[in-house]
Amino acid sequence: MPFSKLVGALTCAIVAIGAVVTAQNGLPAFRALMSDVAPPGIDTGVRDANAPREPRPYNYDRVSRSSSLPYLRGSIIVKFKPGTAMTSQRAMLARAGASTMEAPPYSDFDIVTIAATADPELAARAFAAQPDVEYAQARYRMHPMFVPNDPLYSMQWNYPAIDMEHAWDVNPGASSSVIVAVLDSGLAFRNQVVRFNIPAWTWTDGTRFPALGPTDIPFAAAPDLGGTDRFVSPRDFIWDDANPVDLDGHGTHVSGTIGQSTNNGIGVAGMAFNVRIMPVKVISSLWDDVFGSPYEGTDDVVARGVRYAVDNGARVLNMSIGRQGPPAPVVQDAIAYAVRNGAFVAVAAGNDFQVGNGVERLAEFAPQIQGMVAVGSVGRDRLRAYYSNSGPYIEIVAPGGNQRSGGIMGGILQQTYDFSGVDTYLNGAARYRAPRFDTFAYQFFQGTSMATPHVAGLAALLMQQGITSPAAIEAAIESFATDLGPSGRDDQYGYGLINPRASLRGLGLAK
Amino acid sequence: MSRVRAYGTAVLALIVLTPSSSHAQGRGAYPPPSTTSQLTFRGFGDVGVAVFSATQSFRAILGRPAGPLFGGGVELGLSKHLFVSVAASRFRRTGHRVFAFQGQVFDLNEPATITITPLEITAGYRYTGPGQPATRAAAPAKLIPYVGGGVGWHKYTETSAHSTDADDAHATFTGYQVVGGLEMPLQNWMALAAEAQFASVPNALGQDPNGVSSVYNEHNLGGFTFRVKVVVGR
Repeated sequence: MPFSKLVGALTCAIVAIGAVVTAQNGLPAFRALMSDVAPPGIDTGVRDANAPREPRPYNYDRVSRSSSLPYLRGSIIVKFKPGTAMTSQRAMLARAGASTMEAPPYSDFDIVTIAATADPELAARAFAAQPDVEYAQARYRMHPMFVPNDPLYSMQWNYPAIDMEHAWDVNPGASSSVIVAVLDSGLAFRNQVVRFNIPAWTWTDGTRFPALGPTDIPFAAAPDLGGTDRFVSPRDFIWDDANPVDLDGHGTHVSGTIGQSTNNGIGVAGMAFNVRIMPVKVISSLWDDVFGSPYEGTDDVVARGVRYAVDNGARVLNMSIGRQGPPAPVVQDAIAYAVRNGAFVAVAAGNDFQVGNGVERLAEFAPQIQGMVAVGSVGRDRLRAYYSNSGPYIEIVAPGGNQRSGGIMGGILQQTYDFSGVDTYLNGAARYRAPRFDTFAYQFFQGTSMATPHVAGLAALLMQQGITSPAAIEAAIESFATDLGPSGRDDQYGYGLINPRASLRGLGLAK
Repeated sequence: MSRVRAYGTAVLALIVLTPSSSHAQGRGAYPPPSTTSQLTFRGFGDVGVAVFSATQSFRAILGRPAGPLFGGGVELGLSKHLFVSVAASRFRRTGHRVFAFQGQVFDLNEPATITITPLEITAGYRYTGPGQPATRAAAPAKLIPYVGGGVGWHKYTETSAHSTDADDAHATFTGYQVVGGLEMPLQNWMALAAEAQFASVPNALGQDPNGVSSVYNEHNLGGFTFRVKVVVGR
């Protein structure tokens, strides 16, 4: 092909892609790092006197670009059996009416493009029925597992509840040799200014917010998380770059419970405060959607994030995320890959007990994978939190907070954003402005999202202590757990409440 | 303190209840009087190696199922052939607490010290052969075999870093032992002995789920001990 034709073709392709994005958002979506030098974050203290924030439901249509379906249209995930010939794959594509497929980085599956009007579930079923297909599934969206509530308290009851002070005597916070990947909404890990093109958008209640156009948005590292040397191999699978900034606050809160700087005279403590944290953004937040991120937090994105984390040295993976709906074999495969390659995985068990207690599709396969643990939540009273799912896949519980029984301080306190600068849409269209992500506060959250990093932190401590096998870490956590509820394993508490000190001390000869 | 008193009482009781040579002579139940049938009294020190029956448990914590022990005691010769000994020894090693899973042992780098102090009372028979003295080196090259058996109290202590009193183990277990050896007189007042002992101390291990012995289902604190003894006295 002559060079001029190649350039022409590429130009057409770029224009076409741009047209699609424009059609989705009204304005071309982009983000650009404007400066990696920015003022440090501002700490506004404990949010223990604010009015409660309205909880955000999971499956809401956050911005106009998203459909109300829990999965993406226009494509599905397909894994062909090893050795399937390309001609056979193409024949299957043709039979299913699919057009193209691609294997994105950090995947062992393909994204197959189907008609935008086609039902992805039906298409996946049609593919799955083919003899050379290992599995096929729709691209379901993942979401964070916390139950957002009022950030209004000032003490961390969660560590005494699991005798953490004595556990730190045995192992004071692990070491920087252990890398914990936080697969979440990103992390406030860097001072920088990023330019986004902010289009007009419509919120769930019908409020229409005006376009703000190209806007420089300040970001800062969470002051209590420590210096930049704490973070390793950051990766953003929502924006497909290496700058996984948190546009939500969930990932920053979760990361704090795992590795918040401790014994530094400020703020709050974390479980394994010497580990290095790998922020892997696999969940899109409202602002990611508004800004027009190229990807959403679908199953395939999460699966790629899992593989990326393991391939880049993470030995503990925290996944305070999940979804319901049909099974997610692509994620199951990825987690099995992670465990096979020496990584322990902690997954939230879900917050839907009171809304049907549906099966959490990530947590459900924890019992099948030794080295992966599904984590339920207890409150300060050591009783199952009202929202925490129950079922045969619950393996362990940890403090996740229960603000119904414990009040606002019954949540888990960590540093994250001061949401007055983030949730700028809550003030109505007239006072709407661009968000900023450089102001921090100590907030109480509750959810199995908050319980899960306790287990991930403990796993990091155990790994530092000498247990290198993910399956053995799971066994050490479960066998030393404090039994709650009916004797032995049960569907509400699993094997019980984590007991970090006992797990870290392990076994003596006679006692 | 009460344990010390118990040991003392046991030793005293054994000595008192053991028929003295004069009583034996009176009843005619023991060999006829001779110059060697008088009570004799000897002391000994020993060094040895203990090889524990709970092989997997000791290997997990201490790295090997065996270790040195040191001890000493006294021996009362009751007749030409019979003797009673009271011996104390001490085994002490430091290893690490572990986690055992599917055949793998993970060292948790949490120091754990095991101390075992057996106090054993053994009654035995020494085969000196016709006309030979029991303890004297009448024929320096002659080896004197002996066998015995008795009861022992095994004080077991397990401590570890970052432990509380409730975490540590302090207990005394009762067991029994059988012993056999060869004694080689060196001088009139000194002999060298090589001795093998098997002790059984049932239900001492494997009772607590926080012990690796419960994982391996090993319950016996005993095992084989091989000693070299230096005996002094006549």
